[in-house]
Amino acid sequence: MAILEEPIKEQLHLKNYIDGEWVESEGERKDVVNPANGKTIATVPISTEDEINEAVEAAKDAYHDWRRTPPLARVRCLFRLKELLEEHFEEVSRIQTMEHGKTIDESRGETRRGIEMVEVATGIPSLMMGYNLEDIATGIDEYLIRQPLGVFGIIAPFNFPFMVPLWFAPFAVATGNCIVLKPSSEDPISQVKILELAEEAGIPPGVWNIVHGGRTVVSGMLDHPDIKGVCFVGSTPVGRDVIYKRCGETGKRVIAMCGAKNFALVMPDANLDRTIAACMTSFYGNTGQRCLANANLVVVGEGLSEQEYDAFYKKVVDAFVAAAKKIRMGYGLDDTVHMGPIRDEKKKQNVLNYIEKGIAAGATLTLDGRQFEIVGDLPDTCFIGPTVFEDVTLDMAIARDEIFGPVANMMRARNLAEAIDMIHDVPFGNAASLFTQNGKWAREFQYNVQCGNIGINTGIAAPMAFFPFSGMKDSFFGTLHGQGREAIRFFTESKVVIQRWF
Amino acid sequence: MANGSLTAAAIISFCKELEDKSSTFYGELAERWPEGKEMFQVFSKAGEKHKTWVVRTYQETISDALEASYAFEGMNLADYVVETALAEGSGYTDALETARALEEKACAFYLEVAERSESLLATIPMAFKRVAKKRNKRKARLQSLLDVRL
Repeated sequence: MAILEEPIKEQLHLKNYIDGEWVESEGERKDVVNPANGKTIATVPISTEDEINEAVEAAKDAYHDWRRTPPLARVRCLFRLKELLEEHFEEVSRIQTMEHGKTIDESRGETRRGIEMVEVATGIPSLMMGYNLEDIATGIDEYLIRQPLGVFGIIAPFNFPFMVPLWFAPFAVATGNCIVLKPSSEDPISQVKILELAEEAGIPPGVWNIVHGGRTVVSGMLDHPDIKGVCFVGSTPVGRDVIYKRCGETGKRVIAMCGAKNFALVMPDANLDRTIAACMTSFYGNTGQRCLANANLVVVGEGLSEQEYDAFYKKVVDAFVAAAKKIRMGYGLDDTVHMGPIRDEKKKQNVLNYIEKGIAAGATLTLDGRQFEIVGDLPDTCFIGPTVFEDVTLDMAIARDEIFGPVANMMRARNLAEAIDMIHDVPFGNAASLFTQNGKWAREFQYNVQCGNIGINTGIAAPMAFFPFSGMKDSFFGTLHGQGREAIRFFTESKVVIQRWF
Repeated sequence: MANGSLTAAAIISFCKELEDKSSTFYGELAERWPEGKEMFQVFSKAGEKHKTWVVRTYQETISDALEASYAFEGMNLADYVVETALAEGSGYTDALETARALEEKACAFYLEVAERSESLLATIPMAFKRVAKKRNKRKARLQSLLDVRL
């Protein structure tokens, strides 16, 4: 099978997009490397404090007119953007594969999810409506009006370079706010492409700005008095100790979506074929670099004798390992490949370190991802194969920490209650899945588990654009979540009007 | 051609190749045999439509939460490579025979991918079934023409 054509032919020189212009940064430049073949496909600036301030000023200036633009006119820009994204569907998908490493199926899936955010945001004229009640007292009426707030900052992670900023940006813009977005400097090209299309779609200058960079840009957003709120997706230490804390200190709204360590529970009555297919997608999709990826698989022996439970555990693990062994690794633009590389060498080393930690802690390495084959003539720099550990206990780092790589831990619990306790023993609460045919167990699971996103016979509990992307405990800091109606509330102030005429 | 667990992307690529090959084949038949020109032209043009149905449905449905890479385990695409070459001196009946065989294989392909992806890939199996139904009708039409001639 041939490799799909690469949309990036020559090395790109990326610029910031401020006030409707592509502007050169004075900051130093960093290479953007395709992790599959090691080629530098772009250079990106690490912007300065002056540049982030300039972008916020531009957004603030644009806000005056943008909030007065009728919602219907605002969403017409988004309708055009949606159409342009559809036209460029394949191109933007292949760009994601080139800059991140994920497979083309995964990139196309990400593109679709991103477009769906734009589609939902086009419903703002209805979704943003307030409510009212006549005669709260005789002759007095009360109204609730939703108003935009001003300028928002968006700080994006590397693992979904196209989709994650769209959890926020279309909702912010549709509700009448202006934004300054910092893409991940590791894979910023997708956001540049979106902005090129947004410009073509008629989004006015200053409404949607991009400033590339790192800590300076983030600090600039957090400290700037004209930034009313920040949306962040990334690690828990940064989200909790920097973003959430600083936003609290400066009085900004915040959505901080952070790390995860998700569990999948397999009950004795689960449809095993379907469960294993779902688990492969969940544990190894996006090469494990996903906050909704499951990482700990708990085989639950509810209602089974010891002998039956041992046999069931073996059956599940054997099927899981057999399926994992069939995963083809290679360049994501080869459409026969199931799994791409890790985003970069440093992240791969982090995964390797965890494999060492698992072995040292006494876990059994049933499938060693350090031994692997790659489809095609590619450097092995960023690749690592599917890994399976058994005999994993909750006190081990591999069971508790977010590894962000293709490492699956097989664990055991005698019953559902014990398995739920295991979920609660880790500090995160992003997602959890249950595989069963039993409605009572399913209800007990969804009722009791302290995680924001629950999957019943679903390996990846990814909320659609019209639902909030939830999260609990150390996986989320803030009150309102991204996507759907909660995003609309986040990006608007509720103003109450009480009216009487004499 | 990779066997084992085929990705959804690989299946979609195969669909595109199948429809392209089929369109080219019918286009050539339309030029060579005036008696079947109208029908062959219709068949040739339908390839683009079939591709659009399948690709659009795939692009509108695919998501990272679907088991896109694990629906087609064990399927062998080599079983569905269609033969479109006509031997030197082939007549109209030979052309109809080759076309009927192509339709049979294409129909079987779409039915298999529809069955395998049922409930794993949301609405994608519906698009496969839709094309299979069209292919099946074409096969029946070609068979009836052959029945008259044989």
